[in-house]
Amino acid sequence: MKEGVPVAVTGMGCLSAAGDDLSSSMESVFRGVRSPAPPRRFSSSHPLTYPVFEVADDLEGWGGGQDLSRTARLALKAAHEALTRSGWNKKDLASLRVGVCLGTTVGSSLNSEEFYRLYLRGENPDLSPITRFLRSNPAAVLAREFGLNGPCQTVVNACSSGTDALGIASRWIRAGLCDVVLAGGADELSHVTYNGFISLMITDEAPCRPFDRERKGLNLGEGAAIMVLEGEEWRKRRGKAAEAFILGYGASCDAYHLTAPHPEGRGLKQALLEALRLSRTAPEDLAFVNAHGTGTKDNDRAEALVLQDLLPGVPFLSTKGYTGHTLGAAGAVEAVFTAACLQAGRIPKSIGFLHPDPELPCSPVSQVMEVKGKAALSQSLAFGGQNSVIVIGKGETNP
Amino acid sequence: MRTAISGIGLCGGFGTGIEAFRKALETGERAKGTVTVRSEEGPFQGPAYLADTGPLDRFVERKALRRLDHFSKLALLAACLAYEDAGDPAWDRSKTGLVVASGYGPLTTTFAFLDSFIESGDKFSSPTPFSHSVHNAALAQVSMRLGITGPGLTVSQFEMSVPSALLTAWTWLEEGRVDSLLFGAVDEYNEVLGYCWHRLFGPWGDDLKPLDFQRQTAVPGEGAVFFLLADAEKIDRPPYAYVERVRLGRGPYEPASLPQEACLVLGADGHKGCGSYYRPLLGRSYPVLCGTPSYGSFPAGAAFDVAAAALMLKEGKITASCWHSGTVSKGCPLEGRPLCCLKMGPDGEWGEILLTPWKGKDD
Repeated sequence: MKEGVPVAVTGMGCLSAAGDDLSSSMESVFRGVRSPAPPRRFSSSHPLTYPVFEVADDLEGWGGGQDLSRTARLALKAAHEALTRSGWNKKDLASLRVGVCLGTTVGSSLNSEEFYRLYLRGENPDLSPITRFLRSNPAAVLAREFGLNGPCQTVVNACSSGTDALGIASRWIRAGLCDVVLAGGADELSHVTYNGFISLMITDEAPCRPFDRERKGLNLGEGAAIMVLEGEEWRKRRGKAAEAFILGYGASCDAYHLTAPHPEGRGLKQALLEALRLSRTAPEDLAFVNAHGTGTKDNDRAEALVLQDLLPGVPFLSTKGYTGHTLGAAGAVEAVFTAACLQAGRIPKSIGFLHPDPELPCSPVSQVMEVKGKAALSQSLAFGGQNSVIVIGKGETNP
Repeated sequence: MRTAISGIGLCGGFGTGIEAFRKALETGERAKGTVTVRSEEGPFQGPAYLADTGPLDRFVERKALRRLDHFSKLALLAACLAYEDAGDPAWDRSKTGLVVASGYGPLTTTFAFLDSFIESGDKFSSPTPFSHSVHNAALAQVSMRLGITGPGLTVSQFEMSVPSALLTAWTWLEEGRVDSLLFGAVDEYNEVLGYCWHRLFGPWGDDLKPLDFQRQTAVPGEGAVFFLLADAEKIDRPPYAYVERVRLGRGPYEPASLPQEACLVLGADGHKGCGSYYRPLLGRSYPVLCGTPSYGSFPAGAAFDVAAAALMLKEGKITASCWHSGTVSKGCPLEGRPLCCLKMGPDGEWGEILLTPWKGKDD
């Protein structure tokens, strides 16, 4: 299967602070509600409390009694929802070539504070945080849980990981390497990343305000989203309608700075144009763009410049106002939201945006908007100067 | 389209560059470094394959090096060497991809960031180690230094990191997404890793015995290796070898689809937990080679297996000190045999990288 041939998404699962599954997430974002709050699962000695977007569920029932990371449990729950919607079961999948491609950041970092604090004190700490880490590689967890025998890949491209995982997985289907791929991303909220983003002074002490004049940074979140990608041979055999299609994917490196995007969005432009070219999608085909929209000064400026330059007039929004920045999961969560909105024919307001920024050439949507078009973009920018853009096509059923 | 290896750069416990690597493979050189690990019985001193990044000052000004951590330096040194080894081709770097595999990522900066707030409180969290602790930090440094602006990918899949990342690199070349691609693997040793290793596996000696599957003989290592890959038709000098295919799976590995004359290069690196998955391969008709005693035990080591295989294919003979069994032996000519690098994981995962030789201009 060549580039430009759509890859069907036959199931989607998603959980974040916006909702415990895809339908509740869509319901809450279209109501325009969000629930940032102080961190509940860890404490901090910072003089200020910064709001975060936590998943309410403790997820204790996920993992079948194994000692797994929260990131892995988030992935399991999203994968279960996606597979249920796709109609696949474990037994049938066992006879197919099924791959897993997931993005994460926290989920691949050996940064257990509970272990390391004791180590620094000269004690001999319990090794369970280490063995839990070794058992919790997100892609490997899904492969084990569902008995999958195909390629397994955990993408650690920082904040673009989820988008990259979907783009890579779609290629595995096109190249005939897999019949089915579970693809997406997962990341838990962590005291370590909480401290990290505050130290970089890119965290807002108020609920985040992507593209707003008063924006001061991001809020962290957690979540997971999985898409079930399926080759046409099996989809036709099952008579399964697609919830969406992945039409194309573009990626690039800025080669500019470790933490800041290129000020003119050079790499993002390259990735966006590549995604459009490979998906054979014209700007006029686009219903909307789900921007990375973290709410940081630099990110939103670079994105707005690129959108105005390449896609003037195409409506855009950031859904991070509803979910927080879910890091390695963000691209996947946003791709699932993009697919669901495309199918619904409308997009929610870009929550947190109230005041146009005179320094930006364009602004996101401020109200729920009806949209028309057969495709939409979801894009991610990441530490390391990585840029990724995925083109989502409208599905055949109501997700 | 065939993916060719046009340049290799590496650094590890054996030294720096392809000649040092060749010598280590030939002489069977073992770990020269020593690490000290805290243990309940008092400090334990053990051997380790430790890499020196000093030669990086040949490529990067010293002032800039001061801001780089060891993990990124390892990757950057190997990446620069790979380009140099390929003759510094003037390929369009906006059409060059960059793919990096790492089992554990930048451990030292990860712990340095924890140090910053554990010692002094959350408000003293230090932004520099945080930003350098992301797994794709090495990729970012390589892309900035070498001006590579094509697509980038970092993969962390423990023992399977190398075949998994190479699978995507190979598909990017195969689909024409990129014209060339810099593929690498990197892992660093860290004292916390050494401590965990000692707790999990006990004290270790200096005799890594990869084919003794009954015993834990792994010796920790570190290093980086990068390969400059391109469509064979686009390179103007003989390649080391072709990357013919990459496969990954889980469950019993069946080499049935391999060419009958293939030799297996095992990624067995002394970890008993993976040994049971390698053992059945010894009884097959395929000769078995192993180079891990020359570079040590670490997830990125699987890329050194690929480098060893590529080097052997270019030279057309079995490197003398590799472990062997079956029908090949010391100095035996390869006579056009393909080499298949196999890496097994502790849960029955496997990764297969099949390399074939360049057979002349008309190949």
